[in-house]
Amino acid sequence: MNIRTVNLTRTFRVGSSEIAAVKAVNLELKEPKLFAVIGPSGSGKSTLLNLMGLNDYPTSGNIFVDDADASQLSGRERRRIRNTRMGFIFQTFNLFPTLTALENVELPMSLANKSQEVQEEKALKLLERLGLSNRRDHRPKQLSMGEMQRVAIARALANNPEVIVADEPTGELDSRTAREIIILLQDVNEIEKTMVVVATHDEKIIDVTDKVYTMQDGRLKAED
Amino acid sequence: MAIAATFVIAVGATTMRYATVIREMNVLFNGQVTVVSKDAIVVQAIPISGGMLPEDSTVKELVNISGVATVTPVLFVTSVGSQGMVQAVPVNFTMGIPVDDWGLVLGPIPLRPSGHFPANDSSNEIVAGASIADQYNWTVGIDIRVNGYTLHVSGVFDTKMALLNRCLVMPLTLAQTIYNYPQSVNIIAVKPLQNIAQQNLTTAIKQRIGYVSALTETERNDIVQPVLDQVQTWTLGIEAVVFVMSLILVMTVTVMSVSERRRDFATLDAIGAPMSYIFRVVVIETLLIGVLGGIIGVAFGSLTALMLASFYTSIPVTLFFPSVLEIVPPVYMLEMFTAIVGICCLGGIIPAVNAMRMHIAEVLRAEY
Repeated sequence: MNIRTVNLTRTFRVGSSEIAAVKAVNLELKEPKLFAVIGPSGSGKSTLLNLMGLNDYPTSGNIFVDDADASQLSGRERRRIRNTRMGFIFQTFNLFPTLTALENVELPMSLANKSQEVQEEKALKLLERLGLSNRRDHRPKQLSMGEMQRVAIARALANNPEVIVADEPTGELDSRTAREIIILLQDVNEIEKTMVVVATHDEKIIDVTDKVYTMQDGRLKAED
Repeated sequence: MAIAATFVIAVGATTMRYATVIREMNVLFNGQVTVVSKDAIVVQAIPISGGMLPEDSTVKELVNISGVATVTPVLFVTSVGSQGMVQAVPVNFTMGIPVDDWGLVLGPIPLRPSGHFPANDSSNEIVAGASIADQYNWTVGIDIRVNGYTLHVSGVFDTKMALLNRCLVMPLTLAQTIYNYPQSVNIIAVKPLQNIAQQNLTTAIKQRIGYVSALTETERNDIVQPVLDQVQTWTLGIEAVVFVMSLILVMTVTVMSVSERRRDFATLDAIGAPMSYIFRVVVIETLLIGVLGGIIGVAFGSLTALMLASFYTSIPVTLFFPSVLEIVPPVYMLEMFTAIVGICCLGGIIPAVNAMRMHIAEVLRAEY
């Protein structure tokens, strides 16, 4: 999957004033590489990721997904792309508290109408690969932070996405667990050939990424 | 929701039961004109208070009116409270009817096995209602004491009629003796000849006998129908208020629940769940609340209706268990259950729409 943004701008109305979180951003994420978007808090990293992940709509400018203008896609098409071609990892994991680890991983496949057998087989494989076989029937509250984020990564990988969008995936983790998660993301990128886009402060991630974009005050400041 | 359902079913079933008993009173005098004392207060065919009629002279007068087919004098006695006052909700009744005319008044009412109707007017045999018989363990052949007289239970009615179930029916002269109303009755049932309209007969009776009031079936119904209509309207009003309050409560609780789980719904949106899926999740939750509340409500509502029936009749609640489906009819249970489930689903719609509108970008922006 290729993602290209052209003069991408997103403003929010706060009271009577307008705040531009993302200002005229142009970038192109083409190959299955590991990209990092860095910048200080409030610089617009998460907003940019939400726009590229089709979770939000730009105020102006365009996002192209494989040359298709995302603004022309219906809500249903955007959901289908998010479900089958993208995977999402959040800082706070966003696992469903009433579901077990296995059920959390199965959910995106269930939404894609895959059979129960396929869901279970794939979810078990992913949990095994992420070292969580013995935690399959545990609910999120019974898991450590690192385990929760690994379940979230398994969920993101469930439908074999072409791109993983990770917003501060190590933000809640201690340094040792963060390191494990970074290695996992690196593996996903290298083994699965899945493009990974990470918004982060974590310098350890920056060290392993192929390309780093820096955001400041909503603008893409520089490319390393 | 279960509490609301319990309340609605208990109130609804109780008022329905009252209405049914009152309507049943007219069944006893089907196709007949009833003659009562002019100062009597009448509910359907039954005088609940007021004067007595001299039996012999009144019957003689009625027989001589043209258009009269049969005349049946009846003594109807309701149970009295401790102060000698008529009870607001009489529990037991006694009817004295000439033995040959029982069929005219009661119709074809069957008896439990081995029972028989009294042999003649001078016997001390009575037939008891099933509910009274069960309450006091009376069986066919047993002797009982009423007002100091020994009576022989010759039969037990086998009927679903609430009034007859709480009634002792005996020969007229026996009832007059026991209750000390010699040669007196308080209802006279008059059957018109086939081609005579009830209205014409009542007019003739009132012209001929100055101290009586004569009522056709329609007039008897007209006396209580406005009251029953009012009761029904109030019951519906109470049900509507309770259900609207429940709807608001379910909606508020679900809106709060959805709001507390906004991140979950936003995450569902982020991972591509269709809007219909998110809508279904919320509505199914409220549906389950409705089903659970409905089951608990119907169960507790029925139990409360039985306890209320026991409370206002002083009949042990266990005696009502076999007739629970008569006090709370299955159709009513089903109606209430459906209403509760429907209200819960309706209460889930607005919260479900709220859940559908949650997007991960907005939720995360609000959180950080």
